[in-house]
Amino acid sequence: MKPASPHLDFRNVMWLLAAMIFVVAPHLVRLPYWVGVFFLVVVGWRGWNAWAALRHPSGWITAGLTLAATVATWFQYGRIFGREAGVTLLLVMSGLKLLEMRTQREVTLSIYLGFFLVLTNFLFSQSIPLGLYMLVCVWLFVATLVGFNRVGSTPTLVQRLRPAAALLLQSLPLMVAFFILFPRATGPLWALPQDMRAGSTGLSETMTPGNISSLIKSDAVAFRVQFDGDRPAYSKLYWRGPVMTEFDGATWSVGRPSAAGSAYSKREQRTSYTVTLEPHNKTWLFALDVPAVLPSGAYMLNDLEVRDSRPVVERKRYEMSSYLTYRYGEGASPGALRAALRFNEERNPRTIALARQWKSESPDARALLNKAFQFYNRDFTYTLDPPELDRFNPYDDFLFKTRQGFCEHYAGSFALIMRAAGIPARVVTGYQGGEVNPINNELTVRQADAHAWVEIWLPDEGWLRVDPTGAVSPLRVESGVNAALGPIGVIPSLIAADPLGVLSRIRNTWQAMNSQWDQWVVGYDMFKQRQFFSTLGFPSVDWRTLGFWLLAATFVVGGAITLGLLVRDRPPRREAALVAWNRFCAKLAGAGLTRAPGEGPLDFLARVRDARPSLAAEAEEITRRYVEARYGAGATREELRALAQRVRAFRPA
Amino acid sequence: MLANIRQSISDWIFRAKAPENPPVTLVQRRIFILPTRQGYTFAFTMLVLLLSSINYALSLGFILTFTLVSMAGVAMLHTWRNLAHLKLRPGRCDPVFAGETAHFGVTVETPALTRFAIAVRRTKDEPVYADVAPAEATPISLPVAATRRGLARCGRLEIFTRYPVGLFHAWSYVDFDLKVIVYPRPDPAAGSPPERSRTATEEGIPVGGDEEFHMLRGYRSGDAPKLIAWKALARGQGLLTKEFSAMASSELWLDWNDAHGADLESRLSVLSQWVIQAERFGQSYGLRIPGVSIPPARGEAHRTRCLEALALFAP
Repeated sequence: MKPASPHLDFRNVMWLLAAMIFVVAPHLVRLPYWVGVFFLVVVGWRGWNAWAALRHPSGWITAGLTLAATVATWFQYGRIFGREAGVTLLLVMSGLKLLEMRTQREVTLSIYLGFFLVLTNFLFSQSIPLGLYMLVCVWLFVATLVGFNRVGSTPTLVQRLRPAAALLLQSLPLMVAFFILFPRATGPLWALPQDMRAGSTGLSETMTPGNISSLIKSDAVAFRVQFDGDRPAYSKLYWRGPVMTEFDGATWSVGRPSAAGSAYSKREQRTSYTVTLEPHNKTWLFALDVPAVLPSGAYMLNDLEVRDSRPVVERKRYEMSSYLTYRYGEGASPGALRAALRFNEERNPRTIALARQWKSESPDARALLNKAFQFYNRDFTYTLDPPELDRFNPYDDFLFKTRQGFCEHYAGSFALIMRAAGIPARVVTGYQGGEVNPINNELTVRQADAHAWVEIWLPDEGWLRVDPTGAVSPLRVESGVNAALGPIGVIPSLIAADPLGVLSRIRNTWQAMNSQWDQWVVGYDMFKQRQFFSTLGFPSVDWRTLGFWLLAATFVVGGAITLGLLVRDRPPRREAALVAWNRFCAKLAGAGLTRAPGEGPLDFLARVRDARPSLAAEAEEITRRYVEARYGAGATREELRALAQRVRAFRPA
Repeated sequence: MLANIRQSISDWIFRAKAPENPPVTLVQRRIFILPTRQGYTFAFTMLVLLLSSINYALSLGFILTFTLVSMAGVAMLHTWRNLAHLKLRPGRCDPVFAGETAHFGVTVETPALTRFAIAVRRTKDEPVYADVAPAEATPISLPVAATRRGLARCGRLEIFTRYPVGLFHAWSYVDFDLKVIVYPRPDPAAGSPPERSRTATEEGIPVGGDEEFHMLRGYRSGDAPKLIAWKALARGQGLLTKEFSAMASSELWLDWNDAHGADLESRLSVLSQWVIQAERFGQSYGLRIPGVSIPPARGEAHRTRCLEALALFAP
């Protein structure tokens, strides 16, 4: 017992600092290194201050540091708002807040700031591992809060962590109720910063030899697909993305297509599926060649590119259907065809000359196509690490010198050859294939599945898909990039080396879990909420009903917890000892030893001992415990339970 | 007028009733609970977290916010439970001399679970914290500077807790009408009681300091340290006090009229010092002040009786 100390306890401060480092650690990996150095130095300084009970640095120093940090942030990002810059600034300020913290109130503020730092981590990732890690951080912060509120004594490690764990565990049911029932809004309340979803990888509006092969090394998920019916054959899985018509001799880029949709003259093999697209900051949506029915809010350009009305900045789920057998574009406008024939005469002259030579040798388009395929088939290699190409004439360099390339090399050069030979052609980028998870039968398409192919236009057949990569490496199209190139990256290599398939099963289970997590936890929005309630049998639920349920849940859970708390705090009942004793006496009475009405427990015990020496030891133990519980110091609930247990096991007969 | 009304409303709400019969159990209707200032700050933080989660569509942000909000709700129950069903009894309230620190004591008992950071305070005073473990009564004593002679009253006590997370303040009031008797501050310059006040006993021999060892008796609190039989203590016989035969043989009257002082309080201070000295020297002494006459005797009870008479003296 002692009065509250006006000074912050050293151990408590250390707990706070440790929790802060924990919560900030994932940021330190993401942000520029000076942020980490700054934060750790400031936290170390604070720790040393607390340990040595030094005076706090003067307000001038902290003010100076604040200014310096703000200026540094400005220099780093050119602004002090936005995701990275904002988090940097928040982090730096939190460090300085710790430095100048000296009252209990400021400690509490720092802990609340810590909770906010937890939230900022979710701006970068909402994966299961990060979620669990942040749960640990919250636990540490609550434990710190418990420590600071144990005024008058110093709690042990367990005395900090246990109450915090109890609080969090008991808040779990209500949290779940809130999560499910809290009405979700659509759209942000205020403008999101520009770089909100920065760092997501994906296809871009342009294609230069080399930029898709850089994607291939990324194991990141591009989108996931759940087919309504059977999954189409692997070689049919062409996920159509940005279509590139503009060409300057090296770079293919997205043109300015009109929104008028193309008419299909033949459409068969309709397949329906749901795509869960990872945010990629662009407007295009991916669909199997060729899209049939679009999700709401999306539109299709005349080159069959599907776009959303807004950039996809958060995970998007849409339903789609496609025709796998189709014919379209026979009546393409002369303008569109002219655009698909344009190329720069001055660049890649050898390629252009070759194309013209073929054209003169075989005027028939089909024959020309065959010639081209044979050419590619002859001595080209499919590789992920193609040699550097000439900047001005990259396709000449590729076709006649290096002859090693990736899909963008083949698609780009092939489309150029077609154009030079007078056949309208364009490059289509997107993804090809995917990986089927046998656990939930879901197809996962990764950045590594990025692909580029060519569409050519023939007068009677319209736009036709041709994949020159298939000529070089048929495996790529039939079984995927890993089959064509061998496993890329650490995890696929490990899985390939695992003969029993344990690793791949673990990986599949993990992916299925992630998929559920993404759909039902991370992606739980207004639509998901409605869907959930309608599966429960409440098709239309308004916020008033939700509010009522929330209130009901609060009362039920609160009542249950209160009851639990009170039951645990019940004083042990001494009558329990008497009940056990009476039972003990009844058992002995059954064995012929009846306790006289006025006989005390010890006298009775003496009589039992004389009459039945075999029972003496156990009877003695029971009597001793009973006397102790009823007439002595009393007993805890556990001791009473043990007494009852003993009596139950007592067999006098 | 207005203050009176407010006081009586407050009394009615908080069921002020003094003095109460111990023990007082903090049953549900005696406990009040409100958010602390930190609690309100927490609520504001939660609002910011919720708005951010909505704006950035962060599902895990929602989970974080709802976890913390629920945690606050659960913490409210824990805070309340931390105080509920505590049993309070009045504790030690030992007399002190003016100028010393008086301690108002209460003891707190818990039915089964340890209660952490239980605080007790008088209105406006600094609280005293203690952890209350089961199976024994935890004493909590509130130090108060005793400035004036007389009866120091503790007044209503607030027992409160903010454990475990400081978001809520649960409190209850209890008034045992605790009192500490504050003896007059002994006047160190009082000197010895005047010769005239010494009265011959039947033996007729006023003795000074040549006492003769008489016996050992059990130690009573207040016995002078120099009378403690340290050797006996060292032998493991416990605390014993040496008693001298001379104690029984001289008698002294401490008289109001002999104690000179500027005013009533300083006269009482002089008498207070004399009582202490007489007891220390083991003399038999009596006290005569207006309205009170205590016949000569000695020992702890007698000393207490004399000092109490001085403390509570009202002309």
